[in-house]
Amino acid sequence: MGPQTAELKVSVASTSPFLDFWQTFSRNRMAVAGLVMLVTIITLAVFASVLAPYDPKSSVDITSSDIYNPPSSAHWLGTDDAGRDILSSFLFGARVSLIVGFFAAFISVIIGGTIGVVAGFYGGRTENLLMRFTDLMLVIPDLPLIVVIVALTKPSLLNIIIIIGVFGWTTTARIVRSQTLAVKSRKFVLRARAIGAGNVHIIMKHILPLVMPLLVVNAILVISLAILNESTLSFLGLGDPTATSWGQMLNFAFVRGAMSAGAWWALVMPGVGIAWVVFGLTLFGQGLEQVLNPRLESHHLSPGRRSVQSDAVIESATVKKKSKKRKDAPLLLDVRNLSVNYISHDNVVAKAVHNVSLQLHEGELVGLVGESGCGKTTLMLALMRLLPAAGQIVNGHINFRGKDLTTLNEDELQKLRWSGISIIFQGAMNALNPVRTVGDQIKEAIIKHMPSYAPGVLDDRVIELLDLVGISKDYKDQYPHQYSGGMRQRAMIAMALSCDPDVIIADEPTTALDVMIQAQILELLDDLRKKLGLAIIFVTHDLGVVAEMCDSVLVMYGGVTAEYADVDTIYNAARHPYTQELLKSFPDLSQPEKRLISIPGYPPKLDELPEGCRFAPRCPLAFERCTKEMPILHELEDGYHIASCHLVEGG
Amino acid sequence: MNWKMVIILPVATWLKVDKQVLMSNEFILEVKNLKKYFQVGRQGWFSHTETIVHAVDDVDLTLKPGEVIALVGESGCGKSTLSLTLMGLEEATEGQIFFNGVDITYATNEERKAFRQKIQMIFQDPYESLNPTQTIEEIVTEPLVVHGLARDSHERKDRVRRALEDSGLKPAESYLHRFPHQLSGGQRQRVVIAGALVLEPQLLLADEPVSMLDVSIRAEIINLLADLRRTRGISVIFITHDLGTVGYFADRIAVMYLGRIVETGSMREVLKNPKHPYTQALLSVIPVPNPRMRKKRIILQGETPNPINIPSGCRFHPRCPVAMDVCKQSDPPLIKVSLTQEAACLLVVK
Repeated sequence: MGPQTAELKVSVASTSPFLDFWQTFSRNRMAVAGLVMLVTIITLAVFASVLAPYDPKSSVDITSSDIYNPPSSAHWLGTDDAGRDILSSFLFGARVSLIVGFFAAFISVIIGGTIGVVAGFYGGRTENLLMRFTDLMLVIPDLPLIVVIVALTKPSLLNIIIIIGVFGWTTTARIVRSQTLAVKSRKFVLRARAIGAGNVHIIMKHILPLVMPLLVVNAILVISLAILNESTLSFLGLGDPTATSWGQMLNFAFVRGAMSAGAWWALVMPGVGIAWVVFGLTLFGQGLEQVLNPRLESHHLSPGRRSVQSDAVIESATVKKKSKKRKDAPLLLDVRNLSVNYISHDNVVAKAVHNVSLQLHEGELVGLVGESGCGKTTLMLALMRLLPAAGQIVNGHINFRGKDLTTLNEDELQKLRWSGISIIFQGAMNALNPVRTVGDQIKEAIIKHMPSYAPGVLDDRVIELLDLVGISKDYKDQYPHQYSGGMRQRAMIAMALSCDPDVIIADEPTTALDVMIQAQILELLDDLRKKLGLAIIFVTHDLGVVAEMCDSVLVMYGGVTAEYADVDTIYNAARHPYTQELLKSFPDLSQPEKRLISIPGYPPKLDELPEGCRFAPRCPLAFERCTKEMPILHELEDGYHIASCHLVEGG
Repeated sequence: MNWKMVIILPVATWLKVDKQVLMSNEFILEVKNLKKYFQVGRQGWFSHTETIVHAVDDVDLTLKPGEVIALVGESGCGKSTLSLTLMGLEEATEGQIFFNGVDITYATNEERKAFRQKIQMIFQDPYESLNPTQTIEEIVTEPLVVHGLARDSHERKDRVRRALEDSGLKPAESYLHRFPHQLSGGQRQRVVIAGALVLEPQLLLADEPVSMLDVSIRAEIINLLADLRRTRGISVIFITHDLGTVGYFADRIAVMYLGRIVETGSMREVLKNPKHPYTQALLSVIPVPNPRMRKKRIILQGETPNPINIPSGCRFHPRCPVAMDVCKQSDPPLIKVSLTQEAACLLVVK
């Protein structure tokens, strides 16, 4: 047998990257406006010789009445001191200004990009030398220097381009260097080295493509700076006298008495031109940045959508399951028929969680198991009402302490979060604030959620909490980076415990940790639940961890409940094929000879769910009905065990 | 010849080792007293602080053609540094590395290029180890370009397709023009493997290749590596912190702690009868997927100490549940326990 085929069906490759780019870009109307502004002015400049009504240089046949004529039908924008048509000068001036801007920026970007990449990539002495040189260039007041140099050299257009270009690269170099440093430390660069690639190859193939987006955005900025610089030079009378740019138009008007003649039109037009281009470039650059760095857009801070209740009756077995072991313990959290949808910006609905029910008793540890993308995290965020803005609870109830969490407003929720239900996140390093001590952060959590807490005993409480999770009080005033991975996760647990919650949601708390540290954290959670009577929902993709400590297990697949039963039933009498396959894929050291079995394919994407049973495309036991009809939850064994599969119908 | 086979075959079956491995006297890789120290702190203009991290501290390792060895240890034990040193991406401080009998420890970049093709590496995080701006075809073709192999475009395409299909990405055509972000974690790891296979390596260094993947997908990557070893005779060094994932296809296990190998032996013997207390603890915390078989776990307190201040005597003694007084002074070498098993613990002498 050869290696298994990785996927059952290959989905169609997405549309061209340019189309993707345009779709994202066009959503930003300001950026589109900027692009239109730029395209307009560039078109005008390119076709200046066709569009201009007069030759901008000819001042033959003029009389004194032609000087500083206001706008008229013959001269739409009036004339200047030599009787030349301002509109024509403006169009030809656009050429000069844009040419200087683009070419000077080109020189700057090449110099800055090269210095930035070389400094960032090679590091050490090279970097030190290049960056100190950059610093030196940065502190030199470049405009006076440019003025002096231009004044000393012949003020030709080429000279101006070169001088502006050579002085405009410092910011580019700094930005490119820091981006190079970031890219250099990424794993694919190490992989390229391991292949045997040399430095030049790595820079060309791996560093540059990732630095390029930033360089492009930066180049836009450099262009506008170059245009401004050129205008300044020309305004000071240092421009190329043979090529009239906007700056030069300003200079002429200013020097030759436009102000005293009240000829505002001679000053306004070149000014508008400069502002137009710089503004257009800024808008366009900002739009580009948003496309190239999509992280600017999404965040979790906006308030979530209101929950709604659909009237659709969801047909399924009602869950009255109580764990066999904890029959007598009081019910803490009762989740009934919860459904969550994600609604994208173009109104595509993804059913991330559909009709999931879950009961949690005092002191109970429920394992929530499934592969990545099965809706586990969405379900947990919905329980805390912390869904991102696109998420919405569309059905179901979350009963906790006699209240339905789906109906509460933000203030009421705030009171319940942390002191009622708290959460331990997966990446402890990202969830802790790096610039504040761990003790401070725990203190803050207490003050935030329990304002009545006596401030005098806060420190004692922090020490008590740290002690509870096995951190010595000596570490109270240390920063997260001084903690090891295991200790950070302990600190997260201490924070979750800080307001005496009844329920803790642990979202893959041990996934990134070594086995020994994982064992330590699991033991700690188990101790805490015994000591404090905590109920814990443990989210994981690792069935082994669940078997070690959970009372009951909810197996999720594609956003629905596959199977829900107590832990012994799940491991020894599972009825849903997904549970059975998951168990088979788990390595069992007591039978090391057995070849591992993997489930072919991958979980469905939430926006393209199959019509029938969501597991049918990967199920070894699927038959015709499975592809057409979605199975309902069936009750087995008096409600102690539920499974959604056509095969278990009728018990 | 025949009498040899009479002995070797049953032993090979018993040890679950390929018979080629037992018969061969040649080593594809031989590591002798390898040390890799890092200087941290810096020599500034005004200060001079210098500390030495003993990342790899005297490691011996041998590997036969077609053999799979699992290098097991927690983070900070030096297993990743060891692999980078073997790849020549870090320069060894002391010791020797022989590849196919040639000393490659201090080879120049030019000399290195030749054996680079033969030693390839697979990384932990398939989300990070692929360049997001390259297509799958570019990624898998790149090694050929770097080494100037298969200059004929037809041959090149053929090798890329074969590598992809051998890595389980079938049909290869449907993947060639996709980008990494369009693939799932398991598929990306297959692309990384294809990028290594295209050079037809003799040795694969797999650094935690499955720890970032879902448990349900780990099996397929491990099975893939096992198949590659069988069909292509590739030797594999499988680096992991989780003994549970390697039991299936490793021939031998080497357990590392604080820069040194503390126990080594055939996979079967070590799993069945671990001798070093550290191995015993690591084995005991592997979750068993059956609540009826919950067992006593040996949970070591604390974490692997900082390799700047290596404890005196046996480096494991501060965390060892069975440490004796003598362990604080005496640093035990690897002591032979059986034909294939060795452990660096004073308790095995008794």
